[in-house]
Amino acid sequence: MAKVSISNLNKKYPNGFHAVKDVTLDISDKEFMILVGPSGCGKTTTLRMIAGLEDITSGEMRIGDMLVNEVSPKDRNIAMVFQNYALYPHMSVYDNMAFGLKLKKTPKAEIDERINKAARILDIESLLKRKPKQLSGGQRQRVALGRAIVRKPEVFLMDEPLSNLDAKLRVQMRAELIKLHNDLQTTFIYVTHDQTEAMTMGTRICVMNSGVVQQVADPRTIYNKPANLFVAGFIGAPQMNFFPGKVIEGSMVEVESQTFKLNDELKEAVKAKSKANAEVTVGIRPEDIRLGNESEGILAKVEVTELLGSDLNVYFKIGQRNYILKTEASRGIKIGDDIYPVFNSDKIHLFDTETESSLLY
Amino acid sequence: MKKQKKDSLVFWLFLAPALISFVVVVIVPFFMGIYYSMTDWTAVAGITPNWVGLDNYKDMFSSLEFRYSFIRTFIFTLISVISINVVALTFAFLVTREIRFKNFYRAGFFIPNLIGGLVLGYIWQFIFKSVIPAIGGLLGINFLKELLLLSDPNLTLFGLILAFTWQYAGYIMMIYVAALLNVPQELLEASEIDGANFWQKLWNITVPMIAQAFTITSFLTLINSFKQYDIIVALTNGGPTDLYQGTVVNSTELLAMHIYNIAFKYNRMAEGQARAIIFFLVLSVVSIGQVYYNKKKEVEM
Repeated sequence: MAKVSISNLNKKYPNGFHAVKDVTLDISDKEFMILVGPSGCGKTTTLRMIAGLEDITSGEMRIGDMLVNEVSPKDRNIAMVFQNYALYPHMSVYDNMAFGLKLKKTPKAEIDERINKAARILDIESLLKRKPKQLSGGQRQRVALGRAIVRKPEVFLMDEPLSNLDAKLRVQMRAELIKLHNDLQTTFIYVTHDQTEAMTMGTRICVMNSGVVQQVADPRTIYNKPANLFVAGFIGAPQMNFFPGKVIEGSMVEVESQTFKLNDELKEAVKAKSKANAEVTVGIRPEDIRLGNESEGILAKVEVTELLGSDLNVYFKIGQRNYILKTEASRGIKIGDDIYPVFNSDKIHLFDTETESSLLY
Repeated sequence: MKKQKKDSLVFWLFLAPALISFVVVVIVPFFMGIYYSMTDWTAVAGITPNWVGLDNYKDMFSSLEFRYSFIRTFIFTLISVISINVVALTFAFLVTREIRFKNFYRAGFFIPNLIGGLVLGYIWQFIFKSVIPAIGGLLGINFLKELLLLSDPNLTLFGLILAFTWQYAGYIMMIYVAALLNVPQELLEASEIDGANFWQKLWNITVPMIAQAFTITSFLTLINSFKQYDIIVALTNGGPTDLYQGTVVNSTELLAMHIYNIAFKYNRMAEGQARAIIFFLVLSVVSIGQVYYNKKKEVEM
């Protein structure tokens, strides 16, 4: 069991590409930390630096209390699950799992015991004699996990382990990974581009973009109080609505001739940031817009609807701007309908128009 | 039904050029060869060959020169296969690393293969006869100065192996390069995390993953070593002579050259033909055995 501390980590490739910029991140013992962001945001590079597969350009990396900048992967006491599983195709499932232990000269009886235990946890006992090519994607995934488990590492690293599975299996494995983390009581560091995985699995989430950490917080905070426009837009589906607005006398915000009262928290923030009469970017999540009646909202026309079983996403236009709201499917709204959307002013987010960071931080 | 007929006509039409030339150039001569090997044929026009049964084969097995040539060919092949593959694999590893000018090196190692065997043989003759002693003289190293690789029957074979390795390793290297580039990087990384050092990675991951290349390279080096002729003609022309069980033999007259000499130099066509057939059988058995063995070790992804 170990914590991982990263400070001012940088990765610059020989071709000049600066993939990871000044990342500082403290991952505590037994935490399930998710690194999430769009493709090319540096999350995988960061993970590979933790694994020791990628050289560190500058900064410090500690696993436990040991500085590991120059330590080779095998001496870091980590295990990694790769996106394509990286099972050794010429070895049986048993040998795949035993490989690392054999290299460490673990006694045969202990190897047997550890593999049997891991196989029982992962429900792959009947597959031990098979070769990887005889397994389905989900089974391969379990073997890859098994190979990591038997080594009893201090830190588990996972690089988009579920992205090659079909949607149904992914949901199932998600739950199993959470359970596994609970059982093993080990630090997990998990890279994904899928915000649902991030929200459902992590004890904390680190959102990255273009090599820079945007926000590190628990899923609830990330969702309710995103630190900047990027986090607000990246987490949550459908995406948060953004539009320009103006703060009036520190207590209200005006958007397209409508005014909304700010809640106390935002009033404080506006005051502290001396934005009492400033131009701001206003954000509101689709589920915080409800369908009102004629007297409450402004008239809008429905452009597209998306039925998601229980929910219904409604795309509409006010003036020249597009918005999305989320409502119950039972409302039965059709394309072309007139609606009167009402913004829940309590759930409004305010962002500095220039720096794009939330006024709350 | 009509369509099927037309399809099969097209099939045979396309196959015909290859099939006809194969039959005319390989199959027919092969069976004629078997026939001639049991006669006293000399290829002189107008003389009808007489049937002699297995006499040519009996002569062959009692011939000390043939036996000697056979053993030397096996030694040459064994050492060549090992040396070419070791050199080729080592170079392949070097030029697949992240080094500068790797394409330049790849091309450089490959170039000897573009030089014909005869020219290459004369180049190495010059090196062995003049360059090495000259360097020895310059550096004052007596061992090199007096090293006449091509006049010592025990060493000449190694001179041949050196020249042949130099010629062929670059070609085999390219096959290994292609195979090495196909080894998934993730597997090597996974094994690194599993705790494998360089040699463990090589032995446990890389070698099994390039088993397919081993099948091809072993096959190519095996048959090409076995059939080696042109470099030897230029480099030693079979010499120097040696004594084998009291008989004077040519120390580098390997099987291909031995057969050529018997048939064309001494004009004992039928005898040469008999030896060629045995040569063919041995080479077939050895190479089929090798491919069968290697195939079993290949990994399906």
